[in-house]
Amino acid sequence: MKRTLGVTALACAGLLAATACSGGGSDSGGSSSGPVTVTVMTWESAETNAAIKKALADFKEDNITVQLLDTPAGNFGDKLASLTQAKKLPDLFWCGNDTEQQYTSQGLLVDWADKISTGDGDFKADKFVPSAMDNWKTADGQMGGLPSLMNTYGVWYNADAFTAAGLTLPKAGWTWDEMYADAAKLAGKNGAKYGLVADQLTSADGPFTMSMYSVSAGGAPFTDNVNHPTKAEADDKYKEGVEKLVAAIKNGSVAPPGYDASNVQSLFSAGKVPMTFGGQWLAAGFQTDKPKIKYGFAPFPQVQTPTTLYDSVGICTPQYTKNQDATFKVLEYLNTKVWDAVLPASPVAPPAYTPAQTSYFDALTKAQQSTVVDTVKADLSAEKTVGVRFTTQWAQQVGDLTTANYQPILSGKKPITDLPAYIDKINGLIKQGG
Amino acid sequence: MSRNAGSDVKAAYLFIAPAMIGFFVFVGYPLVRSFYLALTKYNGLTDPVFVGLGNFRRLFTTDPAFWPALRATGYLVVLYVPLSLILGLALAMFCNQRFAGVRVVRTLAYLPVVLPAIATITLWKFMLDPQVGLLNTVLDRVGLPQSLWLQSPKMAMPSVVLVMLWGVGGTMIIFLAALQSVPTELYEAARVDGAGPWAVFFRITLPMISPIVLLQVILQTTAALQTFNQPKILTGGGPGFSTNVLMLSIYNNGFPSLGRIPQLGYASAQVWVLFMIIIAVIALTAKFSSLWTYSDSTSD
Repeated sequence: MKRTLGVTALACAGLLAATACSGGGSDSGGSSSGPVTVTVMTWESAETNAAIKKALADFKEDNITVQLLDTPAGNFGDKLASLTQAKKLPDLFWCGNDTEQQYTSQGLLVDWADKISTGDGDFKADKFVPSAMDNWKTADGQMGGLPSLMNTYGVWYNADAFTAAGLTLPKAGWTWDEMYADAAKLAGKNGAKYGLVADQLTSADGPFTMSMYSVSAGGAPFTDNVNHPTKAEADDKYKEGVEKLVAAIKNGSVAPPGYDASNVQSLFSAGKVPMTFGGQWLAAGFQTDKPKIKYGFAPFPQVQTPTTLYDSVGICTPQYTKNQDATFKVLEYLNTKVWDAVLPASPVAPPAYTPAQTSYFDALTKAQQSTVVDTVKADLSAEKTVGVRFTTQWAQQVGDLTTANYQPILSGKKPITDLPAYIDKINGLIKQGG
Repeated sequence: MSRNAGSDVKAAYLFIAPAMIGFFVFVGYPLVRSFYLALTKYNGLTDPVFVGLGNFRRLFTTDPAFWPALRATGYLVVLYVPLSLILGLALAMFCNQRFAGVRVVRTLAYLPVVLPAIATITLWKFMLDPQVGLLNTVLDRVGLPQSLWLQSPKMAMPSVVLVMLWGVGGTMIIFLAALQSVPTELYEAARVDGAGPWAVFFRITLPMISPIVLLQVILQTTAALQTFNQPKILTGGGPGFSTNVLMLSIYNNGFPSLGRIPQLGYASAQVWVLFMIIIAVIALTAKFSSLWTYSDSTSD
């Protein structure tokens, strides 16, 4: 009896171990000729995941089953890190451009570069937003994933507050000086402490955002390339932009570094933030929450030339995926078909695959978000674009240098003459990190 | 050795085995492993590369975040430890009185300790919001100047400490136990001698509970040096580096935000620096404790 119990326990333990090992990873796939399960993991909300799941149910391909993993939307980074370390990444997972760059450079992701340029049909590189495709290539031309959605940025404004203050509503072509002047007039009114909350200008990524000013004025960007930088730079135009921001922070028009931007969206909806830098994805939330204020979305201000930030998120595949062909088919389906089913209900972002963008713009037009449509279109066709942040492995160290040197300059605790020393330190990192 | 003694030894080993295994698996091995990782460049994705003392060199010479993290940690300790001891002792003395409802007061004072920390810290974050928070609303109503609280580099750390003091009930309960163990005869004798309340406190109460004060100094200092939840939730280390304490810096290097590659080797080096600081603080506190703690030598 004892022996039987022992054997049964061992068998159960073996079965449990086998079950545990097969969960969540590409092990659940199979040989290229047999049935294959392709696993997908997103960072989306439960509602969006439900819409994706529904759309994936229409994927019909012999021997390929798609399984959307149930993953809480929060802490995606931690989840990704632990799955990466355990070598149990799903076959397709949502990833940022920086994750793709860093993981690809570590040899962790499959390279789709050839497949996307030489494949059959319409699913080709030239159908994607060009800046996104350029940015997803590593220094040696590899692509560990494909961009799926574009992030465009601009200025959300409270139209009621502007009208009440007798100001002209922001629109394409407005200038940085106009923006700061508006912020000064809106500050301290109707429960709004600051006229403008621009986390993108004052956070650790702020120096990159400031490139919009210098590039628009005919100067140089903060860095020549976010993926493979050779130098950082703060020329006279850049310095001029910093000086204006410092002055606006000093006179209380713009929120200083350290302002907690985590609840800006709700403060904006409540009319307590009249103007804020932000991404187009806020439109989906506003569509659901319906703020009481009348709001709009304008392109970033300019000095001379329209200039904007660019960024994209995408879908990556681990290098150890069992069946690359099957995985690529699902990847293609996600990029070409799924957004048509998901974006009408939740228009978060325009797809990077341009033929799939129609449903996004139609959804926004239907929801009467015309300023969002205009601004996103203007952003996607902007003459000049600048990167959001370094995607390098030493990006964290640049962030620390920014906190120690650049943010105190913005706060007025360090003089602007310290800017070259900060740039020198970053160039030291570039030289060291390559 | 008798046969029974041999089996007793075996039984003893069997009884302590789970604890020993637990110690080696969950403390011993991670300790050795983290020291090894501190000497390597390791991202958790590819194999560690031995760099000797390179991580420590970077910490002390080029990392712009390390010295501010040490300063923030030191500031937190200096601010929090005395306040928690004074407040904890004051609360304990109050709760040591005999009055109607003392049990309710004790329960209320201890309640924050048993409430989920994350939830209470998040609530405090709402209360400290400069625009819509309860604290500024109250200050505004009574005509007092408002503060930026967590968003001001000067006020951020005091605000974090304020939230930490919310859990001072734990300190109070230990002090309360200590106060109740002071022999009542001493107080009676002091009363007969005509000693006032301050004299009683400084001549009897404080010396008698001084070993517990020493224990609390060590416990609170160690806890303060390892503070993580409050700055993580309330400020994320900002504004600037003002609340970026060592534990938070370690976490951010080991488990960075989405898209960043972990620096587990570097974070391990920071862990060892913090470990050495804690050892040094405890050793120094214990070494000089005889100067201010009371010990009844006759009881030896």
